[in-house]
Amino acid sequence: MKTRTPPPPAAPASVPEAADALLRHFPAEVREAYLRVVTSRDPAATDTLVLAIVADHMPRAEAGLADDAKLMADLGFDSVTIAEMVFFFEDLLKVSVTNAEIVRVRTVADLRAFVRHKIASLPRA
Amino acid sequence: MNRTAVVTGLGFITPIGNDRAAVTASLRTLRPGLAPITFFDNPAVSVKVAGTVREFDVESPGWRDWRWPARYDFPRETLRSLAPHGLYALCAVEQALADAGLAPDAITDGGTGLYCASAGSAFMTHHQVAQIYAARGERGNPMTVVTSIAGTLNFNLAAHYRIRGAVGGFAAACASSSHALGCALDDIRLGRQTRMLVVGAEETNAATILPFAAMRALSTNADPATASRPFDQARDGFVSAGGAVCLILEETEAARRRGAPIYAELAGWGAAADGHSIAVSHPEGAGLAAAMRRTLADAGLAATDIDYVNAHATSTPAGDRSEALALRSVFSDAGARPRISSTKGLTGHPLSMSGVMEAAFCALAIRDGFIPGNANLVTPDEACTGLDLPRATIDQAPRVVLNNSSGFGGSNVCHVLRCWKA
Repeated sequence: MKTRTPPPPAAPASVPEAADALLRHFPAEVREAYLRVVTSRDPAATDTLVLAIVADHMPRAEAGLADDAKLMADLGFDSVTIAEMVFFFEDLLKVSVTNAEIVRVRTVADLRAFVRHKIASLPRA
Repeated sequence: MNRTAVVTGLGFITPIGNDRAAVTASLRTLRPGLAPITFFDNPAVSVKVAGTVREFDVESPGWRDWRWPARYDFPRETLRSLAPHGLYALCAVEQALADAGLAPDAITDGGTGLYCASAGSAFMTHHQVAQIYAARGERGNPMTVVTSIAGTLNFNLAAHYRIRGAVGGFAAACASSSHALGCALDDIRLGRQTRMLVVGAEETNAATILPFAAMRALSTNADPATASRPFDQARDGFVSAGGAVCLILEETEAARRRGAPIYAELAGWGAAADGHSIAVSHPEGAGLAAAMRRTLADAGLAATDIDYVNAHATSTPAGDRSEALALRSVFSDAGARPRISSTKGLTGHPLSMSGVMEAAFCALAIRDGFIPGNANLVTPDEACTGLDLPRATIDQAPRVVLNNSSGFGGSNVCHVLRCWKA
């Protein structure tokens, strides 16, 4: 038997069940970043969360996550994979993203800024 | 019609084994693959037994939670859009390609096509549509369609293997993969394709199985040793099963040129419908008898040429009786008495995958020299009078084999496989 990833350590007790189902395959520091994002809107934690989710979805696993890296040209995303990643953010943060918003996000920096903007509009936990 | 086709590769993820050797051993020794199963931790559920798949854990709708045998490795770009039965199918195709001596880049030139059969994944549909409902339609998993609908197998396998020949799926309930195999043969005969991958797969979860319980079609026998007993007087319904089978069919001369291993020739096929009921077979098996006769005619054979019939018989009271009467009509009335068995006593009934699975069993029987017996058959139904239903496996190589399949709507499909000599 194999798993795609090693069995994860126990999730922080305070991560809600629905988010834990999405994040349990990520390292503990990513789940902790998620908690800081939803409780304090911590920008550094937002970046940690965004970069981990991009890395988890990007087809070219060996590519670097520089700010100017283009999601499609440099990291290998196609429209299906972008839709998959966007849904991950939507499901995790309980937000909705429009098609018009998606097409404006071209680079890693665009995505970091966009997610920070989305999180700022969330009601306080 | 000069072009013929032969079976050159097989792959199995089944209740009776996850590779060819295990499957062959189970067929030879009549080692069953059924196991106890529970749903919702609810002892009141009437279904207690299923043909389950070992070595896999696909209970979660999230692929990241799945476990499968370490000998298979697939990228996330493939896994993300699979249903559980798609994972089974990938493993079966990997086996079949290796068995046929084909590297993955040998099937990308357009000469190879892919025909698939599954019911789709009611399990994935349920979970992913529930997400959309929970979000009141505002968002949903973009993989919902390609993981869930009938066609998910061909979408995913064609993309993963970069197949550029004819690709499609077949939906005729429990005759689906038999239609796929027949049409694959026609594509080779007509010169449209040189090689076809035919894949059937199904899941064993509540979403797939329990709707059949609602139809009162499933056995409520809690004993895995006797729950599936085709043709027996005490049968009380079928036992649902899952897994995946891949059969590789190749144009005979192309297979010879590359030195492919050859199991058997697929010598003919035929289909005919009952025109009778959405779910119940014709009481005399009229459609199935017609399908058998069309198949024999397609192969240029008489009933007396058939050594063995792998029956569709699923262990339902009505279906087995209809098939027995159809067999008597085609064979007994012609003075023929082939050996007949249903291997579903071992495997249970894997729905749309059963046709290609049992065609693969027939190919094994021809090449490896045995006729599977009827597991769990104690007292044959009176409708079986005059039919030769061996209880034990016979160490004798059948030369010509007929494989029967029937599906809802009275869709009946048969194939003839024949011993191939260079």
